[in-house]
Amino acid sequence: MKTLRVLGSTLLLQMKQSFVRPMFRFCLIANPILNTILVYEMFRNSGQTDFAAYAILGAGLMGLWGCICFSSAGDLNRERYSGTLSQIFVAPAGFQTILWGKVLGNTLLSLGTLLFSWLTAKLLYGASFPIRSPGYLLLAFLAAVGCFLSVSVLAAWLLTLSRKTTLYMNVIEIPVILICGFVFPAEQLPRWAQILGMVLSPTWAVKLLRMAVAGVPDRAAFWRAFGTLAALTALYLVLIRLLYGEIQKQVRIRATLEVC
Amino acid sequence: METVVEVRDLKRTYTVTKGFWRREKRQVTAVDGLSFTVERGEIFGLLGQNGAGKTTTIKMLITLLAPTGGLCRVLGYDTFGQERAIRGRINFVFGGELGIYRRLSGRDNLKYFGNLYHVPPELRDRRIDELLRLVELEQDGDRLAETYSKGMLQRLQIARGLMNDPEILFLDEPTVGLDPLGARMLRSLIARLREQGKTILLTTHYLPEAEELCGRIAILHKGRLLALGTPQELKEQAGQAATLEDAYVRLVEGAV
Repeated sequence: MKTLRVLGSTLLLQMKQSFVRPMFRFCLIANPILNTILVYEMFRNSGQTDFAAYAILGAGLMGLWGCICFSSAGDLNRERYSGTLSQIFVAPAGFQTILWGKVLGNTLLSLGTLLFSWLTAKLLYGASFPIRSPGYLLLAFLAAVGCFLSVSVLAAWLLTLSRKTTLYMNVIEIPVILICGFVFPAEQLPRWAQILGMVLSPTWAVKLLRMAVAGVPDRAAFWRAFGTLAALTALYLVLIRLLYGEIQKQVRIRATLEVC
Repeated sequence: METVVEVRDLKRTYTVTKGFWRREKRQVTAVDGLSFTVERGEIFGLLGQNGAGKTTTIKMLITLLAPTGGLCRVLGYDTFGQERAIRGRINFVFGGELGIYRRLSGRDNLKYFGNLYHVPPELRDRRIDELLRLVELEQDGDRLAETYSKGMLQRLQIARGLMNDPEILFLDEPTVGLDPLGARMLRSLIARLREQGKTILLTTHYLPEAEELCGRIAILHKGRLLALGTPQELKEQAGQAATLEDAYVRLVEGAV
């Protein structure tokens, strides 16, 4: 109960804090709108049919990832500069629980990017978003949320080790969008980039969502991708568990919780 | 008397890196073999010039920093390794305007930190009302903290630091930048906490404040203990100085 209270109040605090920031509102609302227009126009002239779902999903996911990057990681830096990071780090609730609450709040709020992306395509282009396998989509969506949560917590933990959080979050944003195939199929990338993409769980989350939207004629392929995503998410969770104690020690040894 | 803080031969060094291409690492010693104890119920002062090691010592005691060497115990537990047994029983306030969620109201800040310290909801809400009254913010509790003056933020910090009814409160320059009335209000608040039996470890640059509040004082210089005793003992040690400020200046200048 105590843990749930901490999770709930951190989630609400995070949503409140994030939404009042103009940069977050830009990432949440303006970014998916612009992305949708750009991606839609790119695909419109590509000669491909049935590209609307691809553009909507891709632009929405780009926005989602942007929000997650600039919030889960950036918020630690903001807390560092506002002097609250040290307060929450030593609170008896445990930094791990607080971090999960923050990431959960950000991720739930950031899912709005998918809605704004769909609305943009619908209102500007009259595009439809036919979902061929709604049941599979629900499953894929839940798995994707779990995937993004685990990636965010892992990234946030690693970023507590350094004060150069802003630099790192900028470095990871675009490469992940490209390597994980958010906007175009990852199969078009060089082999080495594809291998890198395979160990990143968002690649599989994107693949699952696309399959579910387009329809799942090959169920075995869907479950293989689902299994891979579940395994990678589990691996990230194990990594978080293993790193948790060591990173807690290291941030106290390196004194990275505050600004010098 | 029960010893609640025990520091023996405590050391803390920081690694500073310089340069872009050829990175040079340098060790800076902030605390260098410090020893003292604090008894339950006393107000213990840590004085010293900027960079003397006061804040670093407090950060090690509140489990925020790891000591590089020596013994650092609070309530009988090591601050590095047994921190979970300590964190719920202490709290801390750093001077200045940081450490508050400015886009939350004063009340919501206290509520959130109450949750982080696992204060049961009923007790938490009752305590918030009491604390807002104690720090004279009862009329402003529902306003956003970003609209508060510096003094109000400082008082809110004190309320936050008392949310878990800590056995030991660490105050790092709590009156820094406050106007005279605000500083006096805070001093009377600290004196009231002493009457309630709270143990307080205080750092300050205002020596009259230390003389008024502290039972014992440690003067630090370049990370080392320069002198330790009651304000009266320190004045005697400095050759019958008239005030603590005179004693402090003589002791520190003598060490330079």
